[in-house]
Amino acid sequence: MGVPAAPQPTSTRKRALDDVWLVVPVYNEAAVVADVVTEALTAFPNIVCVDDGSRDGSAERIAATGAHLVRHPVNLGQGAALQTGLRYALSQPGAERFVTFDADGQHRVEDVVTMLAIAHSHRADVVLGSRFLAPGGNSQVPWRKRLVLRAAAAVSPTARRLRLSDAHNGLRLFNRIAASRLRITMNGMAHASEITAFLARSGLRVAEAPVSVRYTEYSRAKGQSLINGVNILFDLSLNQRKG
Amino acid sequence: MLIQIVLLSAVAVLLAVFARSWNTTRTRAWKRIAFLTFCVLNAYAVLRPADTTRVAHLLGVGRGTDLVLYLLVVGVTLLALNTYLRFLAVERRLTELARDMALRNPHRPPSDRPLAAVEGERTS
Repeated sequence: MGVPAAPQPTSTRKRALDDVWLVVPVYNEAAVVADVVTEALTAFPNIVCVDDGSRDGSAERIAATGAHLVRHPVNLGQGAALQTGLRYALSQPGAERFVTFDADGQHRVEDVVTMLAIAHSHRADVVLGSRFLAPGGNSQVPWRKRLVLRAAAAVSPTARRLRLSDAHNGLRLFNRIAASRLRITMNGMAHASEITAFLARSGLRVAEAPVSVRYTEYSRAKGQSLINGVNILFDLSLNQRKG
Repeated sequence: MLIQIVLLSAVAVLLAVFARSWNTTRTRAWKRIAFLTFCVLNAYAVLRPADTTRVAHLLGVGRGTDLVLYLLVVGVTLLALNTYLRFLAVERRLTELARDMALRNPHRPPSDRPLAAVEGERTS
């Protein structure tokens, strides 16, 4: 996989991004995580990786980069890792903006810059990445995945209320208010729906930004299987009943 | 049939109770009472099987065995739900514990070290 050269930020731009923290949940990504983090570090000086109990040496790879690392002693799930990373980033001095970023190399650093700009121009508290807003966005998503994602956005009452086109993108930007109010309790993959549900009732200003996703062989192999949607629906229905 | 009303309303009521307060002191007490009652009724049914059939007839069920089976299905369903909710609660506590451990020992990049070392000395 050819990683495109990241834009070399000028020192003034680097300063301006000092209040941004990238939160990267990591589970068994030793093959790519160091490259992904190193590339992101060229634009964003503050990155915290949450090693979610990996057993393939991911943590050692991250420790060799310039990123912060916190380690779950056991595997808990991506939702739990995000919440841990956000809590860590919130405790860092000067942290104002928080971006969730996947460790498998599917997200692009340039898209984060776009999201920061949209947050600024729309005065949004939260910016969610959407694969479907990007030019030619439809064609970059495999059709089976596209069908499921579209269906998920259409049947989800909260995604409809927020007029979201893509409710399950891992790239999200929160400001301090939004990040400190968010409490992810769904440890597994149902956290994506939990986050949109939270946003819908929070009254926070939410915007969407076009992002593109690199569906590499690696991320395709690691990606969520569609059958996992059943698990997500089950977890969510119970969570909603419990209020 | 009477049994259908009894079973369905029992399941509905119990599900509602479970969903709202599955582990309050009150619900826990009732679960224990239910378990003891279940044990006593078991012993009774073993000693006087004919009586289960009589109760079954009252409820519109053909045989006592069938009545026992129906009640068992309801019991197993609730047991599964109870176990599931219990695991969920355990998982939440495990998450809090693991998160706390993770945040206590962060690994900072070398450029951040001096500050981190000072902070570490202060907090430990």
